[in-house]
Amino acid sequence: MSYSETLEQALIVVRQQAVLMQRCIQQRKLMDALKHASMMLTELRKPDLSPKQYYELYIMIFDSLSLLSSYLTDNHPKLHHLADLYELVQYAGNVVPRLYLMITVGTSYLKCADSPREEILKDMIEMCRGVQNPMRGLFLRYYLSQRTKQLLPENAIEFNANFVITNFIEMNKLWVRLQHQGPLREREQRTKERKELQILIGSQLVRLSQIVDDNLVIYRDNILPVILEQVVQCRDVVSQEYLLDIVCQVFPDEFHLSTLDSLLESTLHMHPDVSINKNVLTLIDRLNGYIDRKEQEQETAQVDSDLFKVFWNYLKTLNEERPDLSLQQFVPLIESIMALSLRWYPDNLSNLNALYGFTAQKCKDYGKAIPQSAEYLFVNLLILQNFEYVKRSAALFYNIISQCESFRELLSLQNVPLQKSIINTILDTLLSTSTENGDVLVIDSKTNLENLLSVMEPLIRFRVTATTRRPSNSALGLSDDPTEDEEGNGSWVLDPSQEKLAKFCHLAVRSLPKESKQYRNVENQVEYLLLLKNWYYKGGKNIKYTYPAIITNFWKLIRKSHLLKSRQKLTKETENNYSNMIKQLFKYASRCINDLFNVCGSSVIDTVYKLNIQSASLADQLSLGEIAYDFFSQAFTVFEESLSDLNTQFQALVYMMQSLQKTRSLYQENYYDSLIVRCTLHGSRLLRKQDQCRAVYLCSHLWWATEIAVIGEEEGTTTDFYREGKRVLECLQRSLRVADSTMDNIQSCQLMIEILNRCLYYFIHGDEHDTHVSVKYINGLIELIKTNLKSLKLEEQVSEQQQSATRLQDLHIDDQDTTELPSRKKFVMGLDGTYIEIPRTNGTPASISNKLNSVYINEMIHIPLEHFDRTCEYIVNQREIDDRFKVIVV
Amino acid sequence: MLVLALSDAHIPDRAIDLPLKFKKLLGVSNKISQAILLGNCTKSYEFLKFVNDVSSNVVIVRGEYDNGLLPASKHSRTRESIPINTVVKQGDFKIGCCSGYTVVPKSDPLSLLALARQLDVDILLWGGTHNVEAFTLEGKFFVNPGSCTGVFNTDWPFSIEDEDKQEDTEKKKDQNEETNQNQETGQHQDIKEEDDQNKQNQNQENQNQNQENQKLEESNVDHSQDKDEHKDEDEDEEPVEDDLELPELDIDGSNTPSFCLLDIQGSTCTLYIYIYIDGEVKVDKVVYQKED
Repeated sequence: MSYSETLEQALIVVRQQAVLMQRCIQQRKLMDALKHASMMLTELRKPDLSPKQYYELYIMIFDSLSLLSSYLTDNHPKLHHLADLYELVQYAGNVVPRLYLMITVGTSYLKCADSPREEILKDMIEMCRGVQNPMRGLFLRYYLSQRTKQLLPENAIEFNANFVITNFIEMNKLWVRLQHQGPLREREQRTKERKELQILIGSQLVRLSQIVDDNLVIYRDNILPVILEQVVQCRDVVSQEYLLDIVCQVFPDEFHLSTLDSLLESTLHMHPDVSINKNVLTLIDRLNGYIDRKEQEQETAQVDSDLFKVFWNYLKTLNEERPDLSLQQFVPLIESIMALSLRWYPDNLSNLNALYGFTAQKCKDYGKAIPQSAEYLFVNLLILQNFEYVKRSAALFYNIISQCESFRELLSLQNVPLQKSIINTILDTLLSTSTENGDVLVIDSKTNLENLLSVMEPLIRFRVTATTRRPSNSALGLSDDPTEDEEGNGSWVLDPSQEKLAKFCHLAVRSLPKESKQYRNVENQVEYLLLLKNWYYKGGKNIKYTYPAIITNFWKLIRKSHLLKSRQKLTKETENNYSNMIKQLFKYASRCINDLFNVCGSSVIDTVYKLNIQSASLADQLSLGEIAYDFFSQAFTVFEESLSDLNTQFQALVYMMQSLQKTRSLYQENYYDSLIVRCTLHGSRLLRKQDQCRAVYLCSHLWWATEIAVIGEEEGTTTDFYREGKRVLECLQRSLRVADSTMDNIQSCQLMIEILNRCLYYFIHGDEHDTHVSVKYINGLIELIKTNLKSLKLEEQVSEQQQSATRLQDLHIDDQDTTELPSRKKFVMGLDGTYIEIPRTNGTPASISNKLNSVYINEMIHIPLEHFDRTCEYIVNQREIDDRFKVIVV
Repeated sequence: MLVLALSDAHIPDRAIDLPLKFKKLLGVSNKISQAILLGNCTKSYEFLKFVNDVSSNVVIVRGEYDNGLLPASKHSRTRESIPINTVVKQGDFKIGCCSGYTVVPKSDPLSLLALARQLDVDILLWGGTHNVEAFTLEGKFFVNPGSCTGVFNTDWPFSIEDEDKQEDTEKKKDQNEETNQNQETGQHQDIKEEDDQNKQNQNQENQNQNQENQKLEESNVDHSQDKDEHKDEDEDEEPVEDDLELPELDIDGSNTPSFCLLDIQGSTCTLYIYIYIDGEVKVDKVVYQKED
C-alpha cells in the first residue's frame, strides 16, 4: 500500500476509504472495515506535509476512527473479543496504520469493564516508540493522548501522571528532533513548523495539570522535577522557552509559590539563547495575578518566604553565572522584579533601592556609553511606566527619590537629554498635585527637598546652547547671534522645563508638614525657599525663569507674617519675631533681585526694575516706609544706570508713577517728595519729546492722591490726601510747553488734547481753588488746540477724488460730518504714542506702529481732529450733570 | 461671536496653572473666535499653548512683566512686539485693550474713560488689578476680567488690616469667615448692581450713587485706623497661641480666579463673568447695549 501523490488526492482517498469503512461497519464486515481503515491510515505516512496539512488529514481520520471505536466497544464481546482484535491488528503491514489501529482497538477495550487497563496502557505507550519520524510520531502520540483522555484508571494519580509524563517526554524528544531534520538551510522553516506544532506538546502539560489537580506534594516531588529535568536536558531553545512558559501558565499559582526555587534554578541551566526574562516575566505576572485575585476574594495572600528575596538572590546568581547576558535581556528582568516588589511590598522601597543600585552597577560595568537602542530600558525603570497597577503618583516618586539613593545614581548615569526627559516626567507628576485631583504631596524635611532638587539638578543647569538654536534662527532670517539678541532687546525664549522648575517652587513651599505654631511654619517655609534659591542659583542665567517665582513666595511670606502678626494677640516675643522676620524676608527678596540683575544682566533689566517697585509697594502697605524707600531708590538706580532702551524707559517710568501714586507710608522724612521729584525729573529727561510730555503730565497725579477704598479712604470724607494743586498745574504747564515745542504737528496737537483731557480729569475732581486747573486755563488750552488744528488741517494733502469733500470740511473743522470714503483708514493713538490702525473687519488684529507713516498723512491728521471732537462732545455731555462745564467754551 | 478675555495669569512666576474647572470649561468649546490676553500672560509655554488651542486668534497687550517682544519658543522665533494698547473690532463694537499698568492713577474710572475716548472705543478691557469688574460709564462699557489664576499681587489687599486683635481666637475665626463672605457677596453685588444699572440704562449720577454704596460697604469692614488704640487696651490680656490658620486668599489679597466671555451680536454685548469660588465656578451675566 502506498500513499497519494498530493494532499488533494490524499484527502479524496481518506474520504473514500472512510465511506467504505462505514459501509462495512453497517454490514458488520469488520475485517473489511479494518482493511479500509488501514488504507485510510496509510495516507498519514505521506511525507512532505506541513504541520497544518498533516493536521487536516489527522482530524478527518480521527473522526472516522471514532465511529470504528464505538462499533468495536458496542459489539464486544458478542461479535468479537477486543483482546483478539488487539492481537490481530498487530499484523497490519505498516507501522503507522498498525499503531493507530492498535490504539483504536486498545482504547475501545479500555472502555470495557473487564479489560486489563494498566497492561494495555503500558503496552500502547511502549509500542508508540515504533514511530520515530518526528511529525508522524507526534501525531500518533497525540492520538494516544486524545483517545485515553477519559479512560485512565481512577484513583491512580501516580500511574496516570507517569503515563502522561512518559508520553510528554517522548513527544518533546520527537519535537526537538524535528529541528534537526532536513538540510541546514531550512533551519528557520523547521523552527516555524515546530512552533506550529507546539500545542501538541503543550497539551500534555495541560493533561498533567488536570490529573494532578490540587495535589501539591505529587507535583512538587514527582512531576515538576521530571518535567524540568527534561526541559533542561533537551538543550533546545524553542522547547525550553515554550515549555517553561507553559509550566508557569497551566499549574496553579500556589504551586509556583512553593516551587519558585526550582523553577528559577532551572532557568540558570537553560540554553544561552533562551530569553530568560520572558519566562521570569510570565512567572511574576502569575504571582501578581495571584495577589490580585486574593485581594478580590478579600483574602490575604499567604506566602512563607520573602518573594523579593528569592528573586533578588536569583538575580545575583544569574548575574554571576551569566555574564554574557545583554542589557536588553537583563534590564527587563530587573523591571519584572521591580513589578513584583511594587505589587507585593509596595511600602518597601529598599527593595527598589537595591534594584536601582544593581542596575547602576550594571551600567558602570558596561563600560562604554549605553547604546541609544537600550536607553528606553532605563527610562522604563526610572519612571515605572510599564506597571499598569502602579499609580504613578507624586507620593510614589517622592518616596522613591527620598528613600532610594540609587535611583539618583542610576539617573545620573544616563545621558543628559534622557535625564532631562525623565525629570520632566517626574516634575509633571509632582505638579499634578496642584490641581484638584486629590493627590497630595508632603515634603517632610529639608533633606528630602534637597533630594528632590538634586534629582532635578541636570534640569536646573541645562542650557540651550547657542549651537542648538542657531539653525532655526538663521532659517527665519533673524539675527545671526542668538545670545546677543537675547540679551539686548528684552525678548524671551519660552522654556517649558524651566517653567516647571518655577512652578515646583510654589508647590514645594506649600508642601511642608504643618506645625502647630505658625511662626515655626513661616520659618520652615523660609528655609525651604532659601534651599530652592540656592539650588536654582546653580542654573546660571536660567534663574531668570525661576527667581521670580522665589521672589513671589518671599512676598507671600511677608504678607502672611504681617497678617499673623496683626490678626493675633501674641506675646511680645513672638510679635518681635514676626517683625524681624518681615525685615529679613525683604532682605532675601532684595538678594534675589540683585542676583537676577548680576547674573542675567540687561536681558532682565525691566523685570528687575519692576520687582523692586513691587517690593516697595508691599513694604509701603505694611507701613515700612524706609524699606519701601530703599526699594524705590533701587529701582531708580536700575533705571538710571541700566535701562537705556527708549521704549522700555517710558512704560517703566509710567509704572513707577502708578505705584508711587498708591503709596501711603513715605510721607515722613520727605521720602515721598524726593521720590516723586526724582520721577518727574526723569520724565522730563526722556529722549523723545512726546515721551517727555506724556510722562510729565502723568506725573501731575503724583501730587494728587486719590482714594484707596480698601484702606478706608473716601473721596469727600478723607481729609488728609496728599494733594498740591499748584504742582499739578505746574506739571500740566510744563508738559504743554513740551507739546508746543514738539516739531511733529500731529503729535503736538494730539499731546495737547491729551493734556486737555488731564485738565478735565482734575476739573471734575475738585474745585479749581484746590486743583489750580481753572476754567480760564482750560479755555485757553482749547483755543490753542483749535488754532493748532487749523494749521494742521493745512498740511492735509488733497487728492483729486477728495478735493471737493475736503473743501467742505475745511470750512468747519469740528464738523461731525466727516463722511469717510470707503477706502479710508482710521487710526487712533495709544497711551504711549503708538499709531493704532483700527481694523475694519471683525477679529483682525490692529496693526500698530511707533512711527508715523507719511503715506497715510491725511488719515493721521484725523487722529487729533477726531480725538478733539470726542473730547468736546464729552464736555458738552457733562454739562447735563455738572453746571461748571457750561463755562467751558468748545 | 465669542471673545474671551483673560488677564494676569502670572504663570509660572506666581501660579502653577488655571483652575482645572476653567480649563475644562474653555477646553470643550471651540466656539471662541478671539482670545484677548490683558497682560502678564506671556511667560508660560503651557499657558500660551492652551490659549492657542482655545482660539487661534489671540490678541495680546503688554503687562508689567511682559517683555517688549513676544516670547519665542524653540519652534517659532517670531519677533512681534507686544503693544501697550490695541483695538479690535467685533460686531458693531470697537474694543480697546490695555493691561492697565500704564494707566495713572491705577484703575481710576476717569482715567480709563479718558483712555477709552482716546482710543475711540465702545468697550474697554483692562487688567492688572486681579479683581473682576464691569461697569458702564458715559455709555461705554468697562470690563476687567480679573486674574484667571487669582494669584497674589502687590496692590493694596482687600483684607490686610481689617481685623481688630481679639482675645478669643474662635470669635476671630468666625469673624474672619464673615468678612470673607462679605467680600465675596460684595463682589457679586458689584456685578448685579451693574446689571441692574444696565436695565435702567442709567446715567452717570446713578453710577456715582452705586459707587458710593460700594464704598460704604467696604468701609464697614475696615477699622484699621483705630487698630493701635485697641492694642494698648488689650495689653494685659492673655496672649493667644500662635495658631491662626490663614486662608491663602488673604495672603494673595483676596483675589479669586476669574475670566470673562463677551458674546457679541451686532450692537449687543452679553458679558459672562466666570468666578471660581470654593472649588465651584459661578457665572454672572451683564448685558451692554451700544447707544446710537
